[in-house]
Amino acid sequence: MQLKLRSLFSLSLMVVAAYAAITAWRWSFKTSLFPLATGIPLFVLAAAQLILELFGRDETTSGPAVELELSTHVDPALARTRVAGILTWIAGFILLVFLVGFPIAVPVFIFSFLMLQSRVGWGPSLSLTAVAWLCFYGLFQWLLNLPFEEGFIQSLLGI
Amino acid sequence: MFDALINGLLLVLQWKAFSLMMVGMGLGFVVGLLPGIGGAATLALMLPFIFKMSPAEAFAFLLGMHSVAATTGDITSILFGVPGEAISAATVVDGYPMAKNGEAGRALGAALMSSLVGALIGALVLALAIPIVRPLVLSFGSPELLMLALMGIACITSLSGLGARGQIRGFAMGFLGLLLSTIGQERQSGALRFDMGLMYLWDGLDLVPVLVGIFAIPEIIDLAVRGTAIAGERQPENLQAGVVEGIKDTFRHFWLVVRCSAVGVFIGILPGAGGGVAQWVAYAHAVQSAKDAKDRERFGKGDIRGVLGPGAANNSKEGGELIPTVAFGVPGGGAMGILLGGFLIMGLTPGPDMLTKHLALTFSMVWTLAIANIITVLLCLALLGHLAKLTYIRGGLIIPFVLFLVFVGSYTANGQIADLIVTFIFGSLGYLMVLFGWPRPPFVLGFVLGKLVETYLFISVSRYGFSWLSHPVVLVLIFLTGLVIAYPFIQERRSRKREGVGAT
Repeated sequence: MQLKLRSLFSLSLMVVAAYAAITAWRWSFKTSLFPLATGIPLFVLAAAQLILELFGRDETTSGPAVELELSTHVDPALARTRVAGILTWIAGFILLVFLVGFPIAVPVFIFSFLMLQSRVGWGPSLSLTAVAWLCFYGLFQWLLNLPFEEGFIQSLLGI
Repeated sequence: MFDALINGLLLVLQWKAFSLMMVGMGLGFVVGLLPGIGGAATLALMLPFIFKMSPAEAFAFLLGMHSVAATTGDITSILFGVPGEAISAATVVDGYPMAKNGEAGRALGAALMSSLVGALIGALVLALAIPIVRPLVLSFGSPELLMLALMGIACITSLSGLGARGQIRGFAMGFLGLLLSTIGQERQSGALRFDMGLMYLWDGLDLVPVLVGIFAIPEIIDLAVRGTAIAGERQPENLQAGVVEGIKDTFRHFWLVVRCSAVGVFIGILPGAGGGVAQWVAYAHAVQSAKDAKDRERFGKGDIRGVLGPGAANNSKEGGELIPTVAFGVPGGGAMGILLGGFLIMGLTPGPDMLTKHLALTFSMVWTLAIANIITVLLCLALLGHLAKLTYIRGGLIIPFVLFLVFVGSYTANGQIADLIVTFIFGSLGYLMVLFGWPRPPFVLGFVLGKLVETYLFISVSRYGFSWLSHPVVLVLIFLTGLVIAYPFIQERRSRKREGVGAT
């Protein structure tokens, strides 16, 4: 399963590279030079990786990449559920920002996350939300004066 | 010369200039901690405030802020795996695993002390080098700069794992980064590329959402999967001892810190290369200085040398970047471009005048870099105990705050919801890359350097055809790039030979 997913990643890279190279082929020399110079080698390298994954021997000589190592001590099924959970929270936060804008989305998201996901009591959730809200207004809006657009709902209602 | 040096110091120590430097440092401290909001963006935000200042006050304020942001950016990289600054991403690779191993104090101590050493070396080089580097910078044309950028990518790629497959994945990621940097308007002709009909993509993908997404989201997902604090179930370390150990590490590996500082200064001098590149190349140098393949394997899992190298380069490049900015009016990086605006606001023209008529002012910049970094490091060391305790707070409490900071930081890139979507997409891509063993650093470096490499490639081909490949400096750089690529294989072979001899 892991191998198939791994191969799917290599295949996706090949598709991206092929799309880029084929699209760039029709452009002028100036415009296409760099996409072709990077897209073609990417296609070749991804194809080589895919072939090695499917038909090559197991990767024995390769040491670890200089990279983050994901935790392995959690049960894979539970890990998958948690990954899906956190990605849903992130997507939900983005949706909330789109709908109501940052000034409302930040306290709502932090409070809901603490209450529903982290299962923290009302008191700590409310105080931590207040800290986040103060940080948002005090730092980003008052001190740094960063502009935050209103949400879709506010602009729809003309608030 | 000596008079100018002393006058420069006196200019910084005037109460108004010194107070403004402290205000700038306070701002830089906070901005450095916040993911995504870069020192360059803050410089731009603060530029209107300098109109009523004298030149010495203005540069104390701006440079104090800028140099501190580079130092404190490492703190979030180590504690949360989220780069506080685009230029402190390389610190994540070994700094965050150290925090997860319960060594946050040690990593922070090492990062801060190496930053201080780097900054002092950068300031010293700035003071000494202006007449020396001029011919070097002027002798580098587009072909040489192109090869230098490619060598930087090769350096990072060579660290992507041992063996041929590791190299394939590393180079593929480097090319993917370069390819994605072509999205948007092409600089020479203005033609749109891969814009998918979205106006948001006309300017290309912004570095901040891509970088923050690709580094922060996978770490947040992993923290959620583990369901523990960043430092796991470990007992809190003796923080003070950890910090002292980190400081000692800086002096244990002093020559590595000096070499990485030199890398930072050199890359800082080269126009356009920027701090992100300096950090990654310094990291690559730290890894390549490992004794053997086994020693190399420790990198990425929390090796102190992986924190020291980028920490030193990150701050030494400030001095390096100032050299072409002050001496030739050619900004060494994005932030220096904004600083150049400060020169113009002050009615100063960078160039020979800065080395003759305004030499004391130029030296005041050197002093600002040095003094601001010393004060910051002392302040940080005093606060580190409290900062490192954050890694022992339950993940469920940390995650919503980190997500909030990550997405507000990304949003500041263009002020559009699309920035958040880009962060999410690249965050998911980053997670898949980590899951399937495709390295992120070459991708990031490719993406950072993409626009530059394309410009250099276009100018080189348009101006010289393919004869640029025979330029002497280009040939040397091609040879060095080949050596960089071959080095892991040579090292692996040597190690196998040694093991063979040991077995017999």
